[in-house]
Amino acid sequence: MSTQTASKVPEGKPADWVPAGDLQEVVDPEWLMHEAPRTTEFITGSEAAREAIRRCNVDVAISYPITPQSETMQQAGYLYDEGHIKEYYRAEEEIGTMSAIAGASRAGVRSLTATSGPGLMRGLEAISSWPGARTPVVLLNMCRVINTPLAIQPDNIEISFLLNTGMLHAHGENQQDFYDYTLAAFMVSEEVDVTLPATVSVDGFFVTHARGHVSMTDPKYKLPPRDGWRSAVPAMDNENPPARISRDAPIQKSNFISYHMHASWQQEVFAAVRRSAKYWRKYLGDLIEVVNPGAKEMIIASGAAVSQARECVRQSEEKGIEVGLIKVKTIRPFPEEEILNAVQGAERIYVPEFNQAGWLHKEVCSTLYGKCKADIIAGPRVYGGMTMPTELLLDWMAEGRKDNPSYTF
Amino acid sequence: MLTDKNLILTRAEPNGNGGVQFLYKVAGYGVSAINRPQEEISQLNWELEILKYADGESIKFEVCHNTDLADKTLVFYNDKSVNEFLEKAFSYFEELGSLENMLDK
Repeated sequence: MSTQTASKVPEGKPADWVPAGDLQEVVDPEWLMHEAPRTTEFITGSEAAREAIRRCNVDVAISYPITPQSETMQQAGYLYDEGHIKEYYRAEEEIGTMSAIAGASRAGVRSLTATSGPGLMRGLEAISSWPGARTPVVLLNMCRVINTPLAIQPDNIEISFLLNTGMLHAHGENQQDFYDYTLAAFMVSEEVDVTLPATVSVDGFFVTHARGHVSMTDPKYKLPPRDGWRSAVPAMDNENPPARISRDAPIQKSNFISYHMHASWQQEVFAAVRRSAKYWRKYLGDLIEVVNPGAKEMIIASGAAVSQARECVRQSEEKGIEVGLIKVKTIRPFPEEEILNAVQGAERIYVPEFNQAGWLHKEVCSTLYGKCKADIIAGPRVYGGMTMPTELLLDWMAEGRKDNPSYTF
Repeated sequence: MLTDKNLILTRAEPNGNGGVQFLYKVAGYGVSAINRPQEEISQLNWELEILKYADGESIKFEVCHNTDLADKTLVFYNDKSVNEFLEKAFSYFEELGSLENMLDK
């Protein structure tokens, strides 16, 4: 049983109220992820996130509502009411949200926030400071169009803005991933040789507002609490904050010492991202999933594009064409070695994406440059809320097999 | 939860609109049950179509609006009513399949 108890009964609760989180049993994270009995329910991604949060022993959640994130954090509100989250409030907007949650994390408590496309862009200045401050916040990101014309449909271009912040980043395909990745994210981000924030992205609406089968453990179990002293930098005593927390002269003044300190600090952040791979593997099994290994044609995808690719693989098989699929689970760390091994023997690689920028295509190209003879074909890409029918992917692949395809890569 | 009986495929909604499609098959006929994303996540909305499969192997089918079961897309708001309809449909398909076999002979 948890040893943590509420300091006082919240307003509106009966005098004998016990937070539901106090009644949960703390268990070993690996047992919870891999061995604990599970039952399956058909629920939305927002509800899957709620069930993950229920089991994550979260101390503080702060967020500002934005479609399509709002439903998930509404569900988190229910958890707060039940006593699974100790503190929870709605901030004024995203810069405030992302700054406040960083303060909570620095104080050594387990911290959660969530946002979507435009909200993430608004909070990006604060978010970018998290990795350097070594704050293991978990950010749930429900991807949404960020650019004009305005739309609230899924488009994961915002992921491209997070790639070089130093954050860990997992991209879920479906509701099951949203559940599993969220649990894993807390554990990985708080490993002492990692101590970095982690984003779990899913494609908004397609995952958050749609239902899927989610296999979950008994809600009576939860993760161990965060140990704020077991981290790369010590937790801060917010009751007695250091007066010059981020104003130390060598860092702030523009001289050769400050440049070297900044450089070495950032090198360590990105080294920690790479070190996190072993922990992601521990909880997720591997950083990629491979369907039909050794196929001459491979699709590399992440997020909702994986689901469309799976059906493309199945329909291709019906036609007697073997197509392979590499599902990329973690964007940071990017599974370079795993992808390189998985594409040996491939002649053509397709990278379907739900964004205009083609950030995954760029990642794949930079990983495989000079190490793989396959043609790496960008697309198909849909964005702004467009759908990606299986036929589009099949047609794109058929065109790619021609000597002179009608599109350029 | 929808029944697994006669379920031949669960896949992402193939038109790319998000959500999931369950395909059932009995004696050359079947049912497609699609659950799409929706604004109000507490509601459940199933769209069902009666299908006639093209052959025994592939998942090729046409939507079939000329059976006694349905002449249009059917909408259900909970799993129980879908499962009840599926049971009824499975019996109907078996009977229809038997009749068609007799006609062939």
